[in-house]
Amino acid sequence: MVILQRKELTLAERLYLPEILRGLSITFRKFFKKAITRQYPEEPLPKDEVTRGQPRLVVKDDGHLACVSCGLCEAACPAYAITIDGHEVDRPIEREPERFEIDMLRCILCGFCEEACPKDAIFMSDELELADLTRAELVYGIDKLKRPRSALQKRIDYVYRINDRWRNSSSTP
Amino acid sequence: MTEIVIWVVKVVVVWGALLTTAAIMSLAERKVSAWMQYRYGPNRVGPFGVLQPVADGIKFIMKEELVPAGANRLLFRIAPALSAAPAMLAVAVIPFGYTAVIAGHEITLSVADLDIGILYILALGGLGVYGVILGGWASNSKYSLLGGLRASAQMISYELTLMLSIMAVVLMAGSLDLRQIIEGQRAFLDWNIFYQPLAFVLFTIAMFAETNRHPFDFAECEPELVGGFHTEYSSMRFALFFLGEYCAMTVMAALNTTLFWGGPSVPFWPDAPWYVGVVAFIVKTSFFLFLFIWVRWTLPRLRFDQLMRLGWQALLPLALANVMVTGAVIALTAN
Repeated sequence: MVILQRKELTLAERLYLPEILRGLSITFRKFFKKAITRQYPEEPLPKDEVTRGQPRLVVKDDGHLACVSCGLCEAACPAYAITIDGHEVDRPIEREPERFEIDMLRCILCGFCEEACPKDAIFMSDELELADLTRAELVYGIDKLKRPRSALQKRIDYVYRINDRWRNSSSTP
Repeated sequence: MTEIVIWVVKVVVVWGALLTTAAIMSLAERKVSAWMQYRYGPNRVGPFGVLQPVADGIKFIMKEELVPAGANRLLFRIAPALSAAPAMLAVAVIPFGYTAVIAGHEITLSVADLDIGILYILALGGLGVYGVILGGWASNSKYSLLGGLRASAQMISYELTLMLSIMAVVLMAGSLDLRQIIEGQRAFLDWNIFYQPLAFVLFTIAMFAETNRHPFDFAECEPELVGGFHTEYSSMRFALFFLGEYCAMTVMAALNTTLFWGGPSVPFWPDAPWYVGVVAFIVKTSFFLFLFIWVRWTLPRLRFDQLMRLGWQALLPLALANVMVTGAVIALTAN
């Protein structure tokens, strides 16, 4: 139990007016301070490689997708946002996706697809803005998902660094 | 003929100025609150957001109008008008300048020079509360009803203080005519603030209560009553309540200027031209309008019992004592 001792107010405090004037002077001084609001569309959000934005597909330097449509990301996705149809090709990687769709309205940006991918084909980009007029427009196909490797390089390096840390750690269970 | 033209021009100018002030206040309220909280406030519509009131107005007109089930339709519809009209009418007797001479015509700068101007303003101030009570009662909602009831209790408590603090000034001037009151304060040292500082403090406090502004905005106390008397209102009728509130604030600020701060009198420049007087009046009134916003974003709301105790046990005895002392001093010095 705590017994609170109420402080006896002095006469000046009981008159209220001096205290009100003090309060007014405080708000008036705040009046001239610079606003700390970020003007969002003009002033973009700070981003770095840790930012886990929307997933994007890597386009290798030879112009083809790195994806071999193995379906591991599709299986890893907890929100069932990914749909893949693949087919065989004559190139050494033998398979590529014919259809690779991520329903951005379902995607929860968890990054499990990035972790699951054995081919370094899907990475979380720093793209965060997501708005459109219809639901259909927000189901992204290969056209909207593909990005050159250079655009995702920072994230790729970051993921490698994190994975190496776990791999080289002596205290792994 | 010229008489009528002058009269019509005065009505249009004063009424337009009042409505413009209300529009500016709706923006100023948000801007000042933002600056006091390290924010920008509305800054998207027009440069620095100055066209925000226009955008708000368009939005209000486009909104759907709802009348709740079980509401008294007639009273529900006329209540906002009853709340806004008295405030707009009250501005008619405010003298915003001395006498202007334009193109050979002598024009007294107020819409109407009533010899009972103060009585007229107080009567309309008392009428203003009907809109709030009727709006609350006709809505058929418990929050609205409580808001309306609180407003009426508050108005009765604080109107007494308001009238008694004005009475001290009336005793000084010996007239209910606002023009005579400002004529008596032409010189800087004759301003009533120097003779009636207590009446000024009491009037200013009662002014906040009378216009239902923070820290006395019990009629629309958001955390307890949702929106108070205007909970059920939407669209332009809601806007009309707000317009009424801002007009009442403007009238009260102008009245404060007139009663205590010399109205259009310019300090240390007794023979200033009439337009300088008008500017002085606008500057003084603007300060009190700013004070309304300033206090709103500084002080927390009182509790209802605190409001009643302050009104009846502190302000009313002080106001009575002030009137008695003033009367006694005037009676003694007259002989």
